[in-house]
Amino acid sequence: MSYNTPSELKYTKDHEWTAIDEEGNATIGITDFAQQSLGDIVFVELPEIGSNLTREDSFGVVESIKSVSDLYAPLSGEVIEVNSALQDSPELLNEDPYANWMVKISLSNKDEINKLLGNSDYEKLQVEQ
Amino acid sequence: MRKTVLHDVHENKLKAKMAPFAGFNMPLQYTSAKLEIAAVRNQAGIFDVSHMGEFFVSGDETGDFINFMITNDYNKLPVGKAIYSPICNQEGNVLDDLIVYKLDENYALICVNAANIEQDWNWFSTHALNFNVSLENKSEDYSLIALQGPKSEELLIEVFNSYKEILKNLPYYGVHANMNDNIIFARTGYTGEDGFEVFCKNDTVEEIWESLLKAGATPCGLAARDTLRLEVCYPLYGHELDIKHTPRESSLSWTLKKSNSNYLGKESISIKSPDSKIVKLSLEKLIPREGYKIFLLDEEIGHVTSGTFSPTISQGIAMARVKNIKNMQEEDLLIEIRGKKYPAKLHKRPFYAGGIKK
Repeated sequence: MSYNTPSELKYTKDHEWTAIDEEGNATIGITDFAQQSLGDIVFVELPEIGSNLTREDSFGVVESIKSVSDLYAPLSGEVIEVNSALQDSPELLNEDPYANWMVKISLSNKDEINKLLGNSDYEKLQVEQ
Repeated sequence: MRKTVLHDVHENKLKAKMAPFAGFNMPLQYTSAKLEIAAVRNQAGIFDVSHMGEFFVSGDETGDFINFMITNDYNKLPVGKAIYSPICNQEGNVLDDLIVYKLDENYALICVNAANIEQDWNWFSTHALNFNVSLENKSEDYSLIALQGPKSEELLIEVFNSYKEILKNLPYYGVHANMNDNIIFARTGYTGEDGFEVFCKNDTVEEIWESLLKAGATPCGLAARDTLRLEVCYPLYGHELDIKHTPRESSLSWTLKKSNSNYLGKESISIKSPDSKIVKLSLEKLIPREGYKIFLLDEEIGHVTSGTFSPTISQGIAMARVKNIKNMQEEDLLIEIRGKKYPAKLHKRPFYAGGIKK
């Protein structure tokens, strides 16, 4: 099996991706590896706008027919946008997990960015799993 | 970890995602549970369920022995029919659920759950000593393929053309055995759809599996199987059924037959007033999962025994064990999910009707 791992994104060992813009906001989603491992995604629970995420803590849930998986925050910050389309159409995550982001946050600690993985390190981790 | 004969076909040829179940490494899904479920509801799917156990009973007290072991009434069955039943201990609690196939007047096949093969074998063997019967455990020699879905009859006839008339006329819960060919066809299953279960010797199973695939059946894994059975509210041992509860407490009152004069657990079952019961619940948006707590307003009254997302009706569905409260008000029923309580809908009938021709 092969997985799409765009080189312009940063990753975590928990299979979330993140893209950081110039204003210090981060867009967060799950990786192609994650959506393929989960199978048919049928439910997504995301935080509300204004709630605070803490790096490595659970911020939501993604469910397939037979499994429930926590989403872990790659970075800390306040939620400024939520992709509400996923609530009605969670299968979008199977179709394109990079176009269909989950939340956008305004970062509270930019030093945490250094702890994220580049695409080649993340690809190595996929092979090990 | 044990393997079925088809293990390498699943893992290497069909690239299934494998998972442990009842001590066996079994296919969980091949492509997508959603597609596999749809295949069974609309076309035909095949499952390798060779992990299940097969016991054969023969001897002139076969009928009386089976009736002593099960709560349902085997003796009223004609040859060529099968019956579903729980088996209970002396306390009236459920040890397993199974299907008995009446192959001949004094010849029966019992199909038991994989997780309980050893326990059931010991239980049957012990009680067989009091009857003029002989018992054989052929679980290691037999494989079992379930072909399920509205196109099942057509596909099975394509593969077994010499059995065309027999298969066409086999009624629901009918069975036909050809012991010279070591093959048994039964119109039984675990999905709520029309379909067959084919018992065969291990050395023929791969050819049958491949022929059914070639005829157009979709290979389906245990994830699809579990959701399919939950959509039609069939119980699963270890979930809705367990050794702590009687059949009456497990939605199986219909299997307790007065006409069966003396079976294990009969008296205990008749005395015990049910403490709990199994109910069917659905949620519009969220997905109930095994272990989630059930509340009646503020009072915790039970837990989910099986829960999943049903792609067929696009809802979260569950069976749950709750206290045996009379006149439960549906609007007061709640399921707790990640610390929050959500209103659940109480169902009298299964979530999905299925397509069985009874």
